[in-house]
Amino acid sequence: MKAVDFVVELPDCYRYIEVKSPGRGLDPTASAEEYLTRLASGKVDLPLIRKYRDSFLYEWAAGRAEKPVDYLVLIGLDRIDRAHLVRRRDALETGLPIRLPTGVPWTRSIGRHCGVFDIASWNLTYPQYRVERVPEPPR
Amino acid sequence: MSTKTESLERSTSLTRIRLRNFTAFSDFSLDLSPGINVLVGKNGVGKTHLMKVCYAACEVARTGNDFAEKLISVFLPRGRILGRLVRRQRGRESGFAEVYRGDRRLRTRFATNSRRADAARTDGLSAWQGEPMDAVYIPVKEVLSNAPGFRSLYASREIHFDETYLDLLDRAFLPILRGPMDPIRKRLLPRLRETMGGTVTSSNEQFYLRNRQGNLEFSLLAEGHRKIGLLWLLIQNGTLRKGSVLFWDEPETNLNPTLFGEVIETILELQRVGVQVFLTTHDYVVLKELDLRRKTGDALVFHSLFHNGENREVQCNTVDDYSQIHPNSIAEAFDDLYYRSIRDLADPPA
Repeated sequence: MKAVDFVVELPDCYRYIEVKSPGRGLDPTASAEEYLTRLASGKVDLPLIRKYRDSFLYEWAAGRAEKPVDYLVLIGLDRIDRAHLVRRRDALETGLPIRLPTGVPWTRSIGRHCGVFDIASWNLTYPQYRVERVPEPPR
Repeated sequence: MSTKTESLERSTSLTRIRLRNFTAFSDFSLDLSPGINVLVGKNGVGKTHLMKVCYAACEVARTGNDFAEKLISVFLPRGRILGRLVRRQRGRESGFAEVYRGDRRLRTRFATNSRRADAARTDGLSAWQGEPMDAVYIPVKEVLSNAPGFRSLYASREIHFDETYLDLLDRAFLPILRGPMDPIRKRLLPRLRETMGGTVTSSNEQFYLRNRQGNLEFSLLAEGHRKIGLLWLLIQNGTLRKGSVLFWDEPETNLNPTLFGEVIETILELQRVGVQVFLTTHDYVVLKELDLRRKTGDALVFHSLFHNGENREVQCNTVDDYSQIHPNSIAEAFDDLYYRSIRDLADPPA
């Protein structure tokens, strides 16, 4: 199973948080530029959707799915074209899917909201959980 | 500056515009690219006005007509009173519009009490007309589907369409250019034909899309395809060729974004063969298509117009890199949309 990087429990919801660090550490993407190309073309959507679904299934089986879940994807670059972030958020909400599909006998949604952030928009939205990129330690 | 840019500048392109107390502008000057000039900015900053002044100057070079008279015809001030083009402020004022092609300068100066074109003082006309130039202005509203009877109606009645509409129809009705087909037509016409699914023909002042199924009236055609058809016509009849100038006001209007790529590619190709281009846009995809499809050596600049200070004077920042456009009202609109889309994810205030 795939998994998101963090599952955070808050009093009224869970937050699944996936952090991408293009060009850093174990991230398979070779460079930030290459990642942005994949982001713009929508190639990052399916892996992100799969991570959420697998995590949701794991948490559900563990009895931890009683509160709404928000999915936050942080892309560790300073600033990304807002049009891409809006588009990827829409793609995640459609792909998971967040909204109940027409004609399907579901009685509850598998998620509440999605958000795709760069460092600037993350720090503006969550000033109490500020993030910054630090130099990679020598190997 | 690249060699390509220099060679373009040596041809007949417009190089600079200056406006003093003219419509929205109090004291404004802008250096122009010999390639593509993209005008961005909020409604009311004067993007269309800039293009119309430049277009009028081009038409004067071609027709030998009066500059002030052409300004009246393309701006259509109430009562065709020239003085109404002077920037509105207290007291009597004078203003001017000035356009440069290298060291040639065309200027017309007039005052708030100038009622007709002959009250204006125009300088530089004979040198300006020494080298004619072709120009075409595509206004926001589509006109080809309304072509039947439009020209005769325009000639006989006072109808409130500025002259860019009439001029455009005149260009569109021009027959095909004589002689062998030049490389630009060979390259662009088949692509445009494929996009719109046929070629364009006209009969009794009516335009048709012609394909295997027969002739389809332009009025029955999707408006986006009419735009492609117009481009096809203007390239096919040689209106758009080396040394000509294309003015296009909001090419995105009524065009599905999937067709933007084809339109932008055509604009870039026209620039590559020496057509000077001016276009206004409010659309993010148009800007991004230009940014993504441009190649090294393409002459492309973005002019960002904005109101500055208490007097709301129109000013402009010109850059050649999309990411440096400032202010960028289109990107600001996306920022606003984005932050509203993630608002529900923020923590509630403590």
